Amino acid sequence: MLRPFEIHQPESVEAASALVGRYGDDAAFYAGGTELLLVMKEGLVRYRHLVDLKTIPALGALDYDAASGLLRIGGTVTHRALERHPTVRERFPIVAEVERLVANVRVRNVGTIGGNLCFAEPHADPGTLFLTFDAEVELVGTRGARTVPIGAFFTGAYETARQPDEVLTAVRLREGGPQTRWAYMKFGIHERPTLGVAVALTLDAERRGIEDVRIAVGCVGPVPARVPAAEALLRGAPLAEADGPLERAAQVAAEGADAVDDLHGSAEYKVEMVKVFMRRAFRAAAARFQ
Amino acid sequence: MEAQGASARPVVEISLTVNGRPHTLAVEPRETLLDLLRMRLGLTGAKLSCDVQVCGACTVLVDGLPVSACTYLAYEARGRQVLTIEGLADGEGLHPLQQAFIDHAAFQCGYCTPGMILAAKALLDEIPRPTTDEIKHYLRGNICRCTGYKKILEAVLAAAETMASRHG
Amino acid sequence: MAEALRVVGRPVPRLDGFEKVTGRARYTVDLVVPGMAHGAILRSPVPRARILAIDASRAERMPGVVAVLTAADLRDIDPYYGQLVRDRPLIAIDEVRYAGEPVAAVAALDPATAQEALERIEVAYDELPPVLDLDAALAGGAPRVHARRPAGAPPEAEGNICFHARVARGDPEAALAGAAHTFEHTFVFPMVYHYAMEPHAVVAAADGPAVTVWTSAQHPFLVRADLARMFGRALEQVRVVVPYVGGGFGSKSYTKLEPLAVALARKAGRPVRVALSVAEACLTTRRHAARVVLRTGVDRDGRLVARVATSWLDTGAYADNGPRVTARAARRVLGGYRCPHVRSDAYAVYTNTVPAGSFRAIGAPQTIWACEVQMDLIAQALGLDPVEFRARNLGRRGEALLDGERPLDADLEAGLRRVAAAIGWGHPASPRTGRGLAVGITDAGAEPVASAIVRLHADGSASVHESSTELGQGVRTVLAQIAAEALALPVERVGVVASDTAGTPYDRSTGASRSTTVMGLAVQAACQEVRAQLAEAAAAALGAGAASLCFEAGRIRAPDGREIAYGDAVRAFFGGPGGELIGRGYVRGGGRWAPPPLFWEVGWGGAEVAVDDETGQVRVARYASLADVGIAVNPPLAEGQDEGAAMMGLGHTLFEALRYEAGQLQNGNLVDYRVPLADDLPALETGLVEDHNGPGAHGVKGMGEGAINPVAPAVTTALARACGVVVTELPLTPERVWRALRRARAQQAVSAG
Ligand SMILES: Cc1cc2nc3c(=O)[nH]c(=O)nc-3n(C[C@H](O)[C@H](O)[C@H](O)COP(=O)(O)OP(=O)(O)OC[C@H]3O[C@@H](n4cnc5c(N)ncnc54)[C@H](O)[C@@H]3O)c2cc1C
Ligand code: FES
Ligand code: FES
Repeated sequence: MLRPFEIHQPESVEAASALVGRYGDDAAFYAGGTELLLVMKEGLVRYRHLVDLKTIPALGALDYDAASGLLRIGGTVTHRALERHPTVRERFPIVAEVERLVANVRVRNVGTIGGNLCFAEPHADPGTLFLTFDAEVELVGTRGARTVPIGAFFTGAYETARQPDEVLTAVRLREGGPQTRWAYMKFGIHERPTLGVAVALTLDAERRGIEDVRIAVGCVGPVPARVPAAEALLRGAPLAEADGPLERAAQVAAEGADAVDDLHGSAEYKVEMVKVFMRRAFRAAAARFQ
Repeated sequence: MEAQGASARPVVEISLTVNGRPHTLAVEPRETLLDLLRMRLGLTGAKLSCDVQVCGACTVLVDGLPVSACTYLAYEARGRQVLTIEGLADGEGLHPLQQAFIDHAAFQCGYCTPGMILAAKALLDEIPRPTTDEIKHYLRGNICRCTGYKKILEAVLAAAETMASRHG
Repeated sequence: MAEALRVVGRPVPRLDGFEKVTGRARYTVDLVVPGMAHGAILRSPVPRARILAIDASRAERMPGVVAVLTAADLRDIDPYYGQLVRDRPLIAIDEVRYAGEPVAAVAALDPATAQEALERIEVAYDELPPVLDLDAALAGGAPRVHARRPAGAPPEAEGNICFHARVARGDPEAALAGAAHTFEHTFVFPMVYHYAMEPHAVVAAADGPAVTVWTSAQHPFLVRADLARMFGRALEQVRVVVPYVGGGFGSKSYTKLEPLAVALARKAGRPVRVALSVAEACLTTRRHAARVVLRTGVDRDGRLVARVATSWLDTGAYADNGPRVTARAARRVLGGYRCPHVRSDAYAVYTNTVPAGSFRAIGAPQTIWACEVQMDLIAQALGLDPVEFRARNLGRRGEALLDGERPLDADLEAGLRRVAAAIGWGHPASPRTGRGLAVGITDAGAEPVASAIVRLHADGSASVHESSTELGQGVRTVLAQIAAEALALPVERVGVVASDTAGTPYDRSTGASRSTTVMGLAVQAACQEVRAQLAEAAAAALGAGAASLCFEAGRIRAPDGREIAYGDAVRAFFGGPGGELIGRGYVRGGGRWAPPPLFWEVGWGGAEVAVDDETGQVRVARYASLADVGIAVNPPLAEGQDEGAAMMGLGHTLFEALRYEAGQLQNGNLVDYRVPLADDLPALETGLVEDHNGPGAHGVKGMGEGAINPVAPAVTTALARACGVVVTELPLTPERVWRALRRARAQQAVSAG
């Protein structure tokens, strides 16, 4: 049962941020409410003021700049909007693909990308994928605006680098070049994912050698994270002979995974699954060159 | 729900359309759309079950999109069109989905049915001739504990066909 | 053989269709009773404790609070209830026995106030060491969940044993010792939750001598009896009304929330609504977790010679229907097999967890799973084809497997071969896929006591008054069909009145697949009475002999071709503009029904399963279900029952398990407790065997439960064939399967190295 609270309808990010600044611990930003209302219903948190971000038109924008290849996703853009947006589907098909598998259609209609990232529930998908885009998170607070690389955004389970009064105004992704392909693998039998692995694979012009690879693992530990040591093992390897390095990279990624035991399974199992799905995601990305 | 000791309980006034009828109401921000529909407007077709946005028993359409009314503030419906199961039939003339659910015995206890039918409507509005896999994917957020889903899928496919043939 | 039927056997649309697809169907949660207050329940945070004190004064003083109920309010009533063993107080008295047990309840003017008031009730607990699982409960010196012997406890109950059932014949130990091959396996079945989508809900009014409850109960008359006894009322003073019910599956059988709601309404002096959340429903009832140890001896020809089964069922903090579940488990574990020497012991064991009760096919999924997987293991060990091995041992139609039991009324082998064919048994399977089969028989515990009233109105339409609860199974539609057939009326002219103990006559219960069979006979008998009266009325009106009349589609024709409509005959009988003919039908227990069970409920299943051996993920690609129904009164509804049962079976096979840690339920919500979803649906095929040989009207027998039983063994054995590993604990989560695969690989490596 929800406790009484007041709802505020700011028209600007500054006003929103000022409201949270003013009410402090008694206030929270509110977007789709798909996470927030749940924890409030359970009585896990109590706020007397919710600051609606959807009354700020600019946060709902989704802009693509063809010249720079930058996609700027406003903080209150819903999962469903991303899943269905023609430009996203055309230029960032992996984003649409991953978004299609988030939650169920009702949560996707209401839940926002900003809410997903800011809530930082470990069992989530977009953060993991965005790591392989080297995405940037725009934050605006009472003390001004800043940009945080997504790798520095997640600091723990349900914790981020965002200050309480900062609004996530947008997340920016840069389009991959013609030599980059993505794959995302999601695994689990629960409502929320048990494991997510994202791979962005860039080949050289002949498509023989691995020019670059970015790999991120999510859900198994408190935060989604890149696995640089695994990436390093693969970078520069010829694609045709990637099996060996891939095996070692999977091993390294598994060792580095900060897996925890929970209702989804044991840490031991999750670590093994990191290996399996890293191999699979890599191969799926490679297969997309064909 | 005239509560007590609530001198300072915040209230917002909202206007919305439910099943084609306009309403202007004072709501508490904490009031869910489901409570508003069920307790204030007497529209009890949408049901409360899981209360965590998983089961879909509370599904209603807001501006045509399915939402979990159990975890969706009534405040969000301001200025919007809400469709509940009560508004789907045209008098005694059933919507093709409703008729197909009857024809295919696609319900048992009926508790999931209002939400299931509305979710299916949103699906058919978006994809008029879905494949079985598309139906399964779209309806994976609407649980039915009774039927085992098979007859629901059959009903949705049949309704899609009826609707397509009607629209030529 | 089959009679010419007009209505029975046809896909008649459900009577409740229009209401249910338009949102007009009213469930208990939808009711508003004038003056109704809203209840909320304070639940124990700890699994076992003495209650030292409860201070509700702050809650009572809250504006909007009408009443707070605690054990102190129960002194003038008998607060205990329970089927067979009356061990459960309607609210905790002096001691709590599981985390989630009701300790106090509030009635307030609105639900929010009721919830907030709960936080102002202070309870002082003196925590006691709990027993949280079978091992702990059975250990020497374990604390006792019930220190005092509850009323109705059987003599053999001691320690934490709540109930013991035994089936014995011959000398199994000697036979085992002499058997050519012996096998011993242990199987573990999880605690599972029904998740009927409508959680339990009650509106109770008890402000005078009369007590009225509107409730989501499956068995209104048993609830009435409990309320009358507990609150000192005559049966006549207690009225139990059951609107539409949003799924039962056993979770709403017997008495659950009603006594608490009545006690709260009594204290409040006004009607009170108590509607549980799903989280609370998870704390109300569940299926018994079980450990089954099977020792089986087989002779040189592959025939079973001896079976010793021990089944331990975790019944939680209160007996609920545990004793009956246990009695069934003791029999069902033996399967449909002939075996000369048998001993089966089943124990219901108390633990400090949510009480377990009835759940679709009580006691069967746990034990049939064990029996059928072991049959496969034995076949494999003996190098026999599992179908042939089973066929060699299955009882034949007409054969009684145990003394004093009804002979088998189905051809078990034929059904097995039919599902085998349906899943392509014997044809090569693709790599990493496998097929498995199972057959389960259950001795439906249906008690043959029911009554019905049929009223033929002055316009020729008829109402059936009976008290089988419409849980979704379609009982009203099926009974209307039986009535329409018996009355020679179009089914659209027959209505069925919802259960209301003040207006619809006695029915023992709605469960154990009994209603179509048992209530169907009562309705049929009532119709025959009406028809006899109608014949006389028409005979008088037409001046023809009653025996010469022909009934068709609401009209009666004399041999000379003259006709009269039913309604005209009714009016002619009364000599006025109105009137109605009333027929009654009784079904009584006793001689006619012996020996038990009323019928065998048989379900066969075949599964094709693919396994991902890197992750352990199991995917059921194909499932064929076959049920023996006597006759399908309404084929799509019968199929729907089996489709639902099969999918529910996939739930406990693949995902479902309530998880406890330190006495606290960890996943009592739909985010963490995973039930089957639309995209889990395999290629699902259901078949019905119709031999017209059941004890009900037109040869019907009960169905709707049997199809859940073969799912787990069929999938488990299919998985074994897909990857060579037998998993003896459910559910088959990816991690569990992965671990089993890893163990098998390690063993292989050892034996190879
Ligand atoms: C049943 C269910 C299944 C799910 N399954 C998945 C899944 O498979 N994969 C997955 O990735 N996710 C899943 N989710 C999570 C889902 O994606 C999120 O609930 C949703 O994206 C959150 O967005 P929201 O707008 O509703 O956030 P809200 O609930 O409104 O907010 C969440 C938190 O973020 C803060 N916040 C919101 N927006 C901003 C902003 N712009 N700036 C600063 N702070 C902000 C709020 O203060 C709050 O603390 C699931 C959720 C549910 C309920
Ligand atoms: S009740 Fe809203 S989704 Fe289940
Ligand atoms: S019909 Fe009962 S839950 Fe779907």
